[in-house]
Amino acid sequence: MPLDTSTYNLALLRIDGRRWNELRQLRGQIRTQAAADGSSYLEMGNTKIMCVVTGPSEEGKRRNQGASSASAAGSGSSTSASATNAADILVSVVVGGFSTVDRKKRARSDKRIQELQATLAKSLAAVLHTHLFPRSTISLSLHILSQDGSLLACMINAATLALVDAGVPMTDYLVACSAGSTSSHSAADERADPLIDLNNQEEQELPFLTVGTLGASDKVVVLVCESRVQVSRLEGMMVAAADGCVNIRAYLDSVVREKGHRMVAEGAVEKGASMAMDIDV
Amino acid sequence: MASATTQQHLLLSPAELAYLHSSLSLTPPVRPDGRTATQFRPLTAETGVLPAANGSARVCFADGTEAVVGVKAEVEKRKVLPLSKGHEQIRESDGDDAVAGENDWVEITVEIPGYRDDDSSTVFLATMLSEALLADGEFTKKLWINRRFHWKLYIDQIILISPPLSYPLPLLSLTTHLALLSTRLPRLKSEADEDPMFDDDWDASRFIYPRQSSDTTSATVGSRPPVTLLVMAVGDNIIFDPSKEELAVADSALAVSVGERNAPVDEASETMDVDGEPQAGRQLRLLSVRTIDPPSRLTAPGVPNAVNAAAWGQGGPVAKDPGARAAEIDDVEGVWKAPRGGTKVAILGAMVQKVLEKGGIAEEVLDGLDAVDLG
Repeated sequence: MPLDTSTYNLALLRIDGRRWNELRQLRGQIRTQAAADGSSYLEMGNTKIMCVVTGPSEEGKRRNQGASSASAAGSGSSTSASATNAADILVSVVVGGFSTVDRKKRARSDKRIQELQATLAKSLAAVLHTHLFPRSTISLSLHILSQDGSLLACMINAATLALVDAGVPMTDYLVACSAGSTSSHSAADERADPLIDLNNQEEQELPFLTVGTLGASDKVVVLVCESRVQVSRLEGMMVAAADGCVNIRAYLDSVVREKGHRMVAEGAVEKGASMAMDIDV
Repeated sequence: MASATTQQHLLLSPAELAYLHSSLSLTPPVRPDGRTATQFRPLTAETGVLPAANGSARVCFADGTEAVVGVKAEVEKRKVLPLSKGHEQIRESDGDDAVAGENDWVEITVEIPGYRDDDSSTVFLATMLSEALLADGEFTKKLWINRRFHWKLYIDQIILISPPLSYPLPLLSLTTHLALLSTRLPRLKSEADEDPMFDDDWDASRFIYPRQSSDTTSATVGSRPPVTLLVMAVGDNIIFDPSKEELAVADSALAVSVGERNAPVDEASETMDVDGEPQAGRQLRLLSVRTIDPPSRLTAPGVPNAVNAAAWGQGGPVAKDPGARAAEIDDVEGVWKAPRGGTKVAILGAMVQKVLEKGGIAEEVLDGLDAVDLG
């Protein structure tokens, strides 16, 4: 993909006009599906994800009955650390064929999707208090409606919101942010900046990683890096991403508080009150 | 075939089923949620939710089941036809600009989280929907660009709540309908059989199903995407938009696909039309009918041990138990008995008629869908 981030050095502005430490526009909603135990909708720029949580519920029956794919997804992604003493977390990711610019259908067995599912399930298992729900299952399904970079980060954030809605106890918000580095050429590239919250164009060109932290702390829960990065840049990228996580946590918290405030003001949860998903065409 | 999606998590005892069945066979039927036989549940709908797609819609049923449909179009080169046949076709199309489409220009996929990609129920749903869409051959004509190129339309449907809380066919059908209504294709700039070039301006794009206001531009416009409705019968009662519980006691269930044509009425050759009065209101056309296996059909009927080969020797001889045969055949008050045998033709006919009749359900649904703002 011939694309120019070399212009970055001229004005220190990225392709979409952001500075190095600026996030894209965040927009989140919580409790979007009245019929689900927990649900959320999160936009990070043009990456749009809907998350639906079912559970914690009795395990086994649902999985066996709901056709084998659930268990297939489960075997790939579930973290059955101690199957009887903690809740299983099942993650299934559905990538809409319409989510990319060119329509590309990804099969459920796609390795990439399975890896995303496994990463998500493992990192959530570390944060959720699953030991409170022995012999039960928490299943998440993430629907990717539109993708434009930072997919894993957006999925983690959306899952956190939905789990908050479902009322699953957790240590703190699990928030994630991606970071890249403009240094792609030489080790002597002194002026390289870390960039946070990459979009698709930047992801294709720059080395990047995704960091998930526990709330606003510096405790790293997730660290995924699939590209070659100079070791000297790694720390800068992680720090920048952790900074981004702090901002994202603040935003997610505001979404939750706002919804909670509204629910209290209304006295009860009004069905279908949060139907508005206002995306402009 | 559609068993996996029709019968999920239904925990009703035989007594409850019998109660439900008997209250639904009263005249007028008494439905668990107090609706009338022809009343639909309320739904929320919006279109244009996905900026990256050519058209999209999202519909939420009252029970909370929700679907998102995205329509994506890609230009595809036409398959090369065998030489002789190709010549014929070209000659044919030289005469009149014979625009003909092929069915594989449209691809429909249904995705339900927790179901396999090749799960029979999702494949069955997708097939039923595409069957209705392709039934009249009008739709694929809209995808024709020129003799060498055509649009390929991908209709991807996602059900958000898994497992779906009621049989998802009507939901998917309505969502697809809205998504197609909001689908726009870029305006073609190139001419004839050149490689297609399109206008960059999205405002200049044209709707695949033009609205009536812009009818004047072309003569072929007017039809609308089909709507597939679920109808079920209990006894002689015909009930629309059944909920999961109602479907569980259905004697038979039909998926009726209905299309609409606003074109001038002078086409008297339309023998297929099963419409009411052709002049006023909508002109409805029956596109396809499919029977759906309700869960009640999948229940194996009880067999007395005396005649059951598997329980050989367990039950006494038939003569000793004269009530056994009666219990199997007769209706016993308060005892649920799965329907056996086929549906009466008269009832099937009445179900279809009730959908299509003037001021009937299909009109009501289409009127309701008209009210949705196509972003």
